[in-house]
Amino acid sequence: MASQSTARQASNTTGAVKAEKLLELKNLKMHFPITKGLLHKLVGRVKAVDDVSFTIQEGDTLALVGESGCGKSTLGRSIMRILDPTAGMINYTEENNTVVDLASLDGKSLRPYRQAIRMIFQDPQSSLNPRMTVFQIVGEPLKRYNIASGSELEDRVAGLLKNVGLRPEYLRRYPHAFSGGERQRIGIARALALNPRLIIADEAVSSLDVSVQAQILNLMQDLQAQYHLTYLFITHDLSVVDYLSDRVAVMYVGKLVELGTRAQIFTQPKHPYTEALLSAVPKPDPRLRNTGARIRLTGEIADPASPPTGCYFHPRCSYSQDRCKVEEPVARDIGDGQRVACHFAEELQLKGVEEI
Amino acid sequence: MIDKKDEIILEVKGLQTHFFTDEGVVKAVDGTDLQIRRGRTLCIVGESGCGKSITARSILQILDKAGKIVAGEILLRRDSDEVLDLAALKHNSKAMQSIRGKEIALIFQEPMSSLSPVHTIGNQIIEAIQLHFDVDKKGAETRAIDMLKRVGIPKAETRLGSYVFELSGGMRQRVMIAMALSCQPRILIADEPTTALDVTTQAIILDLIKELQKDMDMTIMFITHDLGVVAEIADDVVVMYLGKVVESGDVNTIFHNPQHPYTRELLQSIPKLGSSDRGRLQPIQGMVPHPFARPKGCSFHPRCKSFMPGVCDQIEPPAVTLSEDSSVRCLLYGGVERDQETNLSSKEV
Repeated sequence: MASQSTARQASNTTGAVKAEKLLELKNLKMHFPITKGLLHKLVGRVKAVDDVSFTIQEGDTLALVGESGCGKSTLGRSIMRILDPTAGMINYTEENNTVVDLASLDGKSLRPYRQAIRMIFQDPQSSLNPRMTVFQIVGEPLKRYNIASGSELEDRVAGLLKNVGLRPEYLRRYPHAFSGGERQRIGIARALALNPRLIIADEAVSSLDVSVQAQILNLMQDLQAQYHLTYLFITHDLSVVDYLSDRVAVMYVGKLVELGTRAQIFTQPKHPYTEALLSAVPKPDPRLRNTGARIRLTGEIADPASPPTGCYFHPRCSYSQDRCKVEEPVARDIGDGQRVACHFAEELQLKGVEEI
Repeated sequence: MIDKKDEIILEVKGLQTHFFTDEGVVKAVDGTDLQIRRGRTLCIVGESGCGKSITARSILQILDKAGKIVAGEILLRRDSDEVLDLAALKHNSKAMQSIRGKEIALIFQEPMSSLSPVHTIGNQIIEAIQLHFDVDKKGAETRAIDMLKRVGIPKAETRLGSYVFELSGGMRQRVMIAMALSCQPRILIADEPTTALDVTTQAIILDLIKELQKDMDMTIMFITHDLGVVAEIADDVVVMYLGKVVESGDVNTIFHNPQHPYTRELLQSIPKLGSSDRGRLQPIQGMVPHPFARPKGCSFHPRCKSFMPGVCDQIEPPAVTLSEDSSVRCLLYGGVERDQETNLSSKEV
């Protein structure tokens, strides 16, 4: 435990000096082929992630939001290289400042980076093997990477459990003996085992009860401060995003429609889709009921296999004009680092969230 | 309908539903009292395992085999002003069958698993209509199409022949609502109907439910764990913890003047959109106890910040009436014998 934390501290100090971009996505595409018939003839493509670019600074939390089916989880999985991206670059900055394109690596050469980038999954029920004890689950990555064995392994796993607020006596228990919140803590301990630098949390708190959700969110913030972690937080819950993110990326049908700091996205959104998302969040205050104009999106989220022409959002957009139907908007910087893919970003007066 | 606004249409009194499993008895619902007034929306909130869904299922008697209503009354006031105790009926009796769907309908959380995957949606809705109304297939079909149109499904005539997997999540939930409302129930129980949906779809479905409630003069019992949804839709709120109602009141009281420590802490633990205070969240300490190891006395006492040693872990708090339609189950407000008389509404102790 002691050796582990000093190792982390050492890496933290070097990391803090750099404080530069840890990950940069350049025009990342993840297309899935649609095949038909006996010969698997290619009849189309599902553009789950289409031309996404953004950067994550070290120590930051970037939240990736959007409706289900917008490609946010696929994007997370592509960065983890669980999936093989169709095109584009995933530039990861190593601790010695060399930049590696993870998208071009395969198999064995990816192994060291799998240590640095870890994932926390949504459903703690199905992401833990029911036939393995907590010790085996959390200890497995340490064993796989020949970092610890024997009694040292046991000590380190116990230390990890303590770090996430679980009692080390629970080492020999199976996942079924834990509640949802505790299982999510086990998942976090497993992700932390290899001293990662980037953690991709895919809807990590979505299936938890509100009181437990608050505990896990606080824990994740503590761990971030303690170990100088960088988070890519994938979620559909905007109140959680508001609480913990530094920057926010909004996705719609595989494309990044808006990117900015938390304050920019929440108080001065520039894309109509962001505005609609914010407006749809139920506010926990009955006095706000029926106040202000609510935006209701009509229609369905577009099919990524046959998206509409022009701007993908135009069939549901209340500000849409003729130009939106034919010309696809390109994401552009509109000042202060806020990037928007909308033709009329400068002209529209959109409503954000009011401070309460 | 006779003008009887605000009369109590459904009342649950001391309901206890227990599950008899091999490991022991789980007291899922352990003395629940609640009342729903005509035309209003009652929200039941609580964390998972607090018995909110089991309360709803007990009302309709659609419990798993291991589950039994062991005590209590479920009083339904019918149109004829006759009051019927549903808890006394057999789950497979004719009377119960005529109430299910016809007088009280239910919408589930996950439409994919609660609609049949091998029947068209038309078949499923028509079956429900023909079960309760004496109409021929053609008549039932027209009615089904009307209902689908009513919930905003485009091209309802052709959609009648669709299977569930051909529809999106929001559309499935609309079908579920259309099916539940096809027999014009007086009471609609909605069990987490929007939890599996995106916020944008959720907002539309909530609007739809509110609109249909107005048009069809319906009473709604809405079960959710999302306090944002409660603030949006509820008239009255019931907060449950470990099988008991710990606090009940109208929506403004619950949100702005909560009395029970659990309600207060629950409200504090949620991240609020646009909150200027970006400090740490305040979670409720500890976690929901295991169903076989319920704490003695007040079941919330191990997690409570106002825990009074020797009192809360000994005495089971009775429901204390605070005002006409709000009550709380906490010893801070009375129930301790020695000062029961004087201490009905004050906060000291």
